[in-house]
Amino acid sequence: MKEIFERSGGSELLLQGNEAIARGALESGVRFCAGYPGNPSSEIIETLAEAAKEIPVYAEWSINEKVALEAAAAASFAGLRAIVSMKQNGVNVVSDFLTNLSLSGTGGGLVLVTCDDPGGISSTNEEDARLFAKLADVPLLEPSTPQEALEMTKWAFELSEQIKNIVILRSVSRLSHTRANTLIGDLPDYGGGAFFDTKSPFHTFPVLTKHLERHKKLDSAMILSERSAFNRYDGPDWPELLVIASGSCWNYVTEAVELLDLSSKVGVLKLGMTWPLPCNLLRKHLARAGRILFAEELDAFVEESVKALTADLGSEVGIKNFYGRGSGHIPICGELSPGLILGVLGDLFSKVWKAEIFREKIRTFIPQPVPPREFGFCAGCPHRGSFYAIKAALAWDGRNGFVSGDIGCYSMGIWPTGFNQVKSVHAMGSGVGLASGYGKLGQFGFDQPVITVCGDSTFFHAAIPALINARFNDSDILLLILDNSATAMTGFQPHPGTGSNAMGHKVEPVDIESVCRSLGVYVEVGDPYDLNVTACAIYRLMGMAGPRVLILRRKCALVQGRQGGFPYTMMVAREKCLGEECGCGRYCTKIFRCPGLIWDAAEKKALIDEVICVGCGICSEACPRGAIVRMEKRKD
Amino acid sequence: MAIGEERYQSELITRVIEKGICVNCGACVGLCPYFAYFDGRVAVMDRCGAGTGRCLQVCPRAAYTQIMREEAKGLEGRDLSLGFYSQVLTARAKDKYLHEEAQYGGVVTALVCLGLEKGLFKGAVLTDRGGELSPGGALAVTPFAVKSCAGSRYSASGSLSILNKAIKDENDGIAVVGLPCQMEALERMQRSVPDGGDRASKVAIRIGLFCTWALDYRKLRDFLYKNGVKGIVRKYDIPPPPAEKFVVLTEEGQKEFPLGEIRVFVQKGCYLCRDMTAEWADISVGTMEGTAGWNTVLVRTERGKDFLDDAFKEGILEKGNLPDENLKHLIVASRNKRERGKKAESDMLRDSE
Ligand SMILES: Cc1cc2nc3c(=O)[nH]c(=O)nc-3n(C[C@H](O)[C@H](O)[C@H](O)COP(=O)(O)OP(=O)(O)OC[C@H]3O[C@@H](n4cnc5c(N)ncnc54)[C@H](O)[C@@H]3O)c2cc1C
Ligand code: SF4
Ligand code: SF4
Ligand code: SF4
Repeated sequence: MKEIFERSGGSELLLQGNEAIARGALESGVRFCAGYPGNPSSEIIETLAEAAKEIPVYAEWSINEKVALEAAAAASFAGLRAIVSMKQNGVNVVSDFLTNLSLSGTGGGLVLVTCDDPGGISSTNEEDARLFAKLADVPLLEPSTPQEALEMTKWAFELSEQIKNIVILRSVSRLSHTRANTLIGDLPDYGGGAFFDTKSPFHTFPVLTKHLERHKKLDSAMILSERSAFNRYDGPDWPELLVIASGSCWNYVTEAVELLDLSSKVGVLKLGMTWPLPCNLLRKHLARAGRILFAEELDAFVEESVKALTADLGSEVGIKNFYGRGSGHIPICGELSPGLILGVLGDLFSKVWKAEIFREKIRTFIPQPVPPREFGFCAGCPHRGSFYAIKAALAWDGRNGFVSGDIGCYSMGIWPTGFNQVKSVHAMGSGVGLASGYGKLGQFGFDQPVITVCGDSTFFHAAIPALINARFNDSDILLLILDNSATAMTGFQPHPGTGSNAMGHKVEPVDIESVCRSLGVYVEVGDPYDLNVTACAIYRLMGMAGPRVLILRRKCALVQGRQGGFPYTMMVAREKCLGEECGCGRYCTKIFRCPGLIWDAAEKKALIDEVICVGCGICSEACPRGAIVRMEKRKD
Repeated sequence: MAIGEERYQSELITRVIEKGICVNCGACVGLCPYFAYFDGRVAVMDRCGAGTGRCLQVCPRAAYTQIMREEAKGLEGRDLSLGFYSQVLTARAKDKYLHEEAQYGGVVTALVCLGLEKGLFKGAVLTDRGGELSPGGALAVTPFAVKSCAGSRYSASGSLSILNKAIKDENDGIAVVGLPCQMEALERMQRSVPDGGDRASKVAIRIGLFCTWALDYRKLRDFLYKNGVKGIVRKYDIPPPPAEKFVVLTEEGQKEFPLGEIRVFVQKGCYLCRDMTAEWADISVGTMEGTAGWNTVLVRTERGKDFLDDAFKEGILEKGNLPDENLKHLIVASRNKRERGKKAESDMLRDSE
């Protein structure tokens, strides 16, 4: 969408929340943009990187979130506006720098965007990254709509420069990926260069002084917040119930109040800045309602702060009935929804709210629900080959070995698509760190072989230190780098190994193999499509001691699909196919499970789904009868 | 379901694999993708989940029931420690090369070469010498290949997986050289449903080897490696009692280990075995104790007899007589193995109750 980079404003665009944040940053005159991909945040840097091709802005995919923030902070120290974006896990990664940075303070406006994923729809965890704002004593903004996302981003930059500290903007999946008509403003003129004033350095000393200063900055933010239009109240002067809402939940509350016809009884206080809280505004509204409901995602962040404030205010506001996570009215985990808020409000006002009616309404829009599907690797995915080989090697070995997994598409190795080989998954790079620990357990009688896997992007992000640790401490670790030349899980963002950067410039790729070799680690390279050869290589490497790396290199099937496709047209030779009989037992559809293979229940034979099958050909090696046949594709 | 009726993989896994009594004969391997033989051991690759199948039926360790030869019926009163046989003799190959390369008299290698040359069969399932990985099965189709498999590897080689593969590849007329458990597996295959008879008809001749036990290859390799044997082993030997030695010959020379240190690597499943002389073979071949370079041979079937007679007629083997003393000794050893196996089996069944 080229219009996002339109210089003059005034028009309405159908923008996704993330695009609105990017536009807001551009309208603020942002010059430096950095991030690490991760759902639901990735489109922010993707959009800004596109913009950077036309506007004097710099954008990069950094090696990890911490480096992203550090790079962006450099721009801020040199007086430029800068933005970093990441998903909730990324905030954990930046946290060490963040809590120091918020002591040193910043120069040019610096905004950290975290896109949290309530429900863990595309994450390994469910986490409320807002807590880091409290931890680092920095302001926290929570937009509810794409329009607000755009405007709050602009406010965030101003605020950051007013208080000379970083500001966190928090989105959630629903906002990041919702599209709405959004009125855009003008882009600024770009002037002014970068300059680091050596007379005002950025550091954290003396620590106590800086800590005190940080709190003072927070106080000024609070004063600004009291007057901000982003904190807003709608409803009767003396509501029967006050709902304190923030982020996407505000939309659900508004919808529920309307559907239940409660606007004369329920007041909604929408908080745009949820840390620090606008105390005076809250004092006023707390005094006017006896019952208070909290609508926020995920933790009881606002809820607990408001409860603490109510206690501080004491008789001034009186005793309250609070409804939220503490009372059990709001579930302690998972995404909230309009239906859920309707249920809670219905209960509180004894209004019968029939979820069924709502669902019925949805059904009329979507008559054919999508059938449930299990997680699975794509047709042609090299990870299927890798895990098939791992499975074979571990079964041959027979000592109850397992895979210490990491973050990427291959995390799905915990499921049948990866033959259930992966037995632990945590954070980026953690699989390798764990393996480095398992590799020292031999002295305690541990003799189960452990294979750790990580992707190419994950390798750069956080696996290298763990590998060096293994090398340094002479740990018996076998790392399989599943190098598919892509950050596939998050949408094919470039990384140091791919040969180009976020702005599309060609760069000399960082060679994973030489990185490992330079560490003094034994390295081999294999092809995950070569099932048996790879399995034998893994088995052989399992028998060796010390740190070893096997790079399994094959392009992600989706990348290969775009870059020339696959060599074969596949066919099941029906006369050879054994189907359910002894000797096969539907091996291809039951065990191998490539979605390109289907079962013809009438004929009791396997079939190729010609739409799904890409023609990688590896299933022909798995079929015990050689019934799955490869035919060279005709080159027309 | 009574023992002997179930046929599926999960039963085989609980009864044999998980109990650790698999003897790695390879009979269940190569029928389907769910089992594999690799580097000395049989592995369960995936769970098949089917309610019927052939693997359980062919396994010599799964059924705790003894099978019996037609010919032996009615002879129950007689001493059948050596199984049913029609003739016992001693023999050795005339080929001088085999005196060097073969285990003892080279009868097995000479017979297989002859069979191939005369077209009695087109291929023979043997056991190779291994390399980086353990010895394993090999389908030899030339005398040269047969000779390169001469000698005994005292670990199980899963070579019946190669037979299964050969049958799958539509080969016909295959000789099988194997251990007593493998001969039993062939017999169970013959009796299995739905296609055992058909599959067994592809086997032209069964040549059985005498066997007291077989070792777990991976444990043996680790042991040898720790004791300085790093290259490929050219020959193993267990000289007859009272030597109590395990001899290993490599390019670097010969090493000897006390047999007691090696016996700990015997496969657990071998302790259940009651058959020392391969009673399900057509011809069984072992050492001739006390006379180096000769084999003891038991002829058990008509086709075994014809084959052996032919070999003498062709002049590739020399014939000798087994002294009574040796036969008595063999019978005692055989009977002892039967008793030990019977006891181990009842101990195991009692323990698992
Ligand atoms: C594990 C094992 C235990 C044995 N125990 C005894 C015993 O206790 N008493 C006794 O008298 N004889 C025993 N033998 C048999 C003996 O070692 C000779 O194999 C036999 O006497 C034939 O001698 P040969 O000179 O004709 O052999 P060769 O002509 O050298 O032929 C030997 C044949 O055995 C095959 N072979 C080698 N290793 C194996 C294996 N692991 N599994 C299946 N086939 C194999 C080869 O493919 C080759 O064809 C044992 C053999 C093995 C493999
Ligand atoms: S195509 Fe091959 S693996 Fe699939 S059911 Fe048929 S024989 Fe089995
Ligand atoms: S003993 Fe033979 S048939 Fe039985 S499980 Fe082991 S390899 Fe398979
Ligand atoms: S002792 Fe029995 S079970 Fe063990 S290898 Fe020998 S014949 Fe097979």
